[in-house]
Amino acid sequence: MVNGKSVLVIDDEAPIRRVIEMKFRNRGYQVMTAINGEEGLDLIKAHSPDVVITDIMMPKLDGKSLCEQTDGLKDERPFLTIVVTCRISPEERSWTGRMRDTVLMEKPFSPSRLLECVEQYFEGAGCLST
Amino acid sequence: MKPRGIYFALFAFFLAGIAFLGGVLIQQEKRQQEEKLISQGNYLVSLIALHPIGDFTGEKGNYILRTIREYISRDGLVYCLIHDQSGGLLASLGARDLVTGIPKEVRTQSLYTPGLTTQHFRAGGTDLPIHEFSKPVYENGERSGTVRLGFNLPAPSLLSPERIKLLGIVAFFIFTISLVAYYTITLALRRLNNLSLSVQSSFLDPASAQASSGKATRIDQVIRDFEQSLRLLKARMSEIETSNMELETKAGVTAFYENQITNILDSMRLGIIIMDSQDNIMNINVYMLALLNGKREDMVDRPIGEALGHEQILAFLVRQQGDGQDRGANSLETAFPEVAPGHVFQVASSAMKDGDGAVIGRLLLVDDVTNEKLAERAKQEFVAHVTHELYTPLTTIKSYNEMLIAGEVQDEETQREFYNTIMDETDRLQRLIENLLNISKIEMGSLTLTRGLVKSDWLVNDCIAAVETAARKKRITIEKTLPDNYPSLFGDKDLLKVAIINLLGNAVKYTPEHGRISFGLSDDGEAAVFEVADTGYGIREEDLPHIFDKFYRSEDPRVKEQTGSGLGLGITSEIVHLHGGEIGVQSEPGQGTHFSVRIPKEEYQIG
Repeated sequence: MVNGKSVLVIDDEAPIRRVIEMKFRNRGYQVMTAINGEEGLDLIKAHSPDVVITDIMMPKLDGKSLCEQTDGLKDERPFLTIVVTCRISPEERSWTGRMRDTVLMEKPFSPSRLLECVEQYFEGAGCLST
Repeated sequence: MKPRGIYFALFAFFLAGIAFLGGVLIQQEKRQQEEKLISQGNYLVSLIALHPIGDFTGEKGNYILRTIREYISRDGLVYCLIHDQSGGLLASLGARDLVTGIPKEVRTQSLYTPGLTTQHFRAGGTDLPIHEFSKPVYENGERSGTVRLGFNLPAPSLLSPERIKLLGIVAFFIFTISLVAYYTITLALRRLNNLSLSVQSSFLDPASAQASSGKATRIDQVIRDFEQSLRLLKARMSEIETSNMELETKAGVTAFYENQITNILDSMRLGIIIMDSQDNIMNINVYMLALLNGKREDMVDRPIGEALGHEQILAFLVRQQGDGQDRGANSLETAFPEVAPGHVFQVASSAMKDGDGAVIGRLLLVDDVTNEKLAERAKQEFVAHVTHELYTPLTTIKSYNEMLIAGEVQDEETQREFYNTIMDETDRLQRLIENLLNISKIEMGSLTLTRGLVKSDWLVNDCIAAVETAARKKRITIEKTLPDNYPSLFGDKDLLKVAIINLLGNAVKYTPEHGRISFGLSDDGEAAVFEVADTGYGIREEDLPHIFDKFYRSEDPRVKEQTGSGLGLGITSEIVHLHGGEIGVQSEPGQGTHFSVRIPKEEYQIG
């Protein structure tokens, strides 16, 4: 059971926010959304979500900078970060590899796979990136 | 000198020789006579002194004196004086004036010296040169008297018959030797004259250098050897001249090529350092000197480790060397921030090898790759943008479908919303793909028009429909100013739609929420004029000249935060120009942008 776990979805594309939000709400998660990295950072600091699902290419603050700025927060309260990206380049694999509890997922993603990944994380089985 | 002069000189030399010889002979004879006289005088005085002093008195004395007198005229004896023990004159022989002219000191010396004395003096009055020999007479161990003999050395005669004979013989020999010498020298000179001719001719014409005639004397042999040596010398000189010319030519050619190489290196927009096998700098071009802020004379012939003050490049060179092989593919990216701030340089090194494959040096190349880096970055950004733009609608379509299929969307209204979103995203994907195809065609020069009748009212409706959803989401009002009579155009309907939609799409994208877009179409008689004006951010002055460049995107953060490929306006401009039309833009930052597109109608009338 999710027991009121919270998920933050950060993406500048409204349809994508919408579909992820719906998928996780249907499963009983609390879902917050942000339209760019800056907004997402504020929400992470304010609400300490259990899962952050973020795009990389976003206005104001991109996904990479967001992860770098929030990695330190995981000392106090660990959370899962899923970075959704179009193409997984070696460079992206490299910087996400340095972050704690951070996985990469390639677009176009499946909402079910995304949910599966999050649930595996909460079950302590980790999460395999795509 | 003239021959007569030579003869006179020779004659004078000959006479002087004779005179000198005569003089030498006279001196010699005089010395001999003197020696003979001394010997004779000593002998004679010793002989006379053997007699007891008493013998010189009386009859016996007269006899002895007579015997002596015979010498007087014959052997130069000029006086004979016999003294007793006390120095008194016992007997005297010779001219009185001569005897009285003998200096006193001579007499004293003779009378009081215990042994044999020889003295030379000139007698007073006669001035004759006299040699006096004296010896004491001893009887019973005591001096009983003194014998003194005076000899006059007769002056040697220059022209004595013996001397004349001798001189004659000498003169004859000198003359004969002179003649022989003259003849020989003349002969030799003649050959040397011939030699000089043959030397000249051998220098001018080697074939004639063999000419020689007459008997093969020793001098001929010497001359031939000499000629041979000269010919060899000439050949050697000729060789040296040729060799010198070759060397000079080679040096000239080398200098020319060195200059050429330096000029070529200097003309290259590339930093170049050429090193020898010991890593000393052999050449460095102007471009590299400018990067290093150095002078050629401070760099050339110095080890690169000392001359090149760039740690990164030196470390790179050491790494290259450490690999032990030429790894030309390896390169270093570095910067010269003091000289070229913001520029990126690529450093490469490669070994230079001779024909046998031995390493003779190294080449260091420094290339300004700033533009390539920018282009590469732009390309990467473009690819990333395009990928993002393609995958975003695809993700939406796929995930929405998945949700619908999985039955996770229960209520009908949400289902409709999902279907609409899938439709919108499919349209978006289609436009993007069309843009990409168009830009590819433009890039390849293969974008062509498929002309036909275009009803402008349909065109306007299609374009508005394409952006309406996006505009509605941002609550942007689209005001339409349309004519009563729509002009018809002869053109490519699809491409014209792409061109207008790009303008409208940009207007929606770069206008903040609650903004206003006015879209107008008018007919000015010659052309259909489409106008798209918005109340958006406007275009910065520095961006205006570039907005139709392909892939150009403004650095304006409000533009950058919007996704886009930088292709739309480039494609629109290309399509308008293909239709023979014009596109114009007016923009005021903060106020908005106004695009106008004129598509001429003539073509339709012809059609």
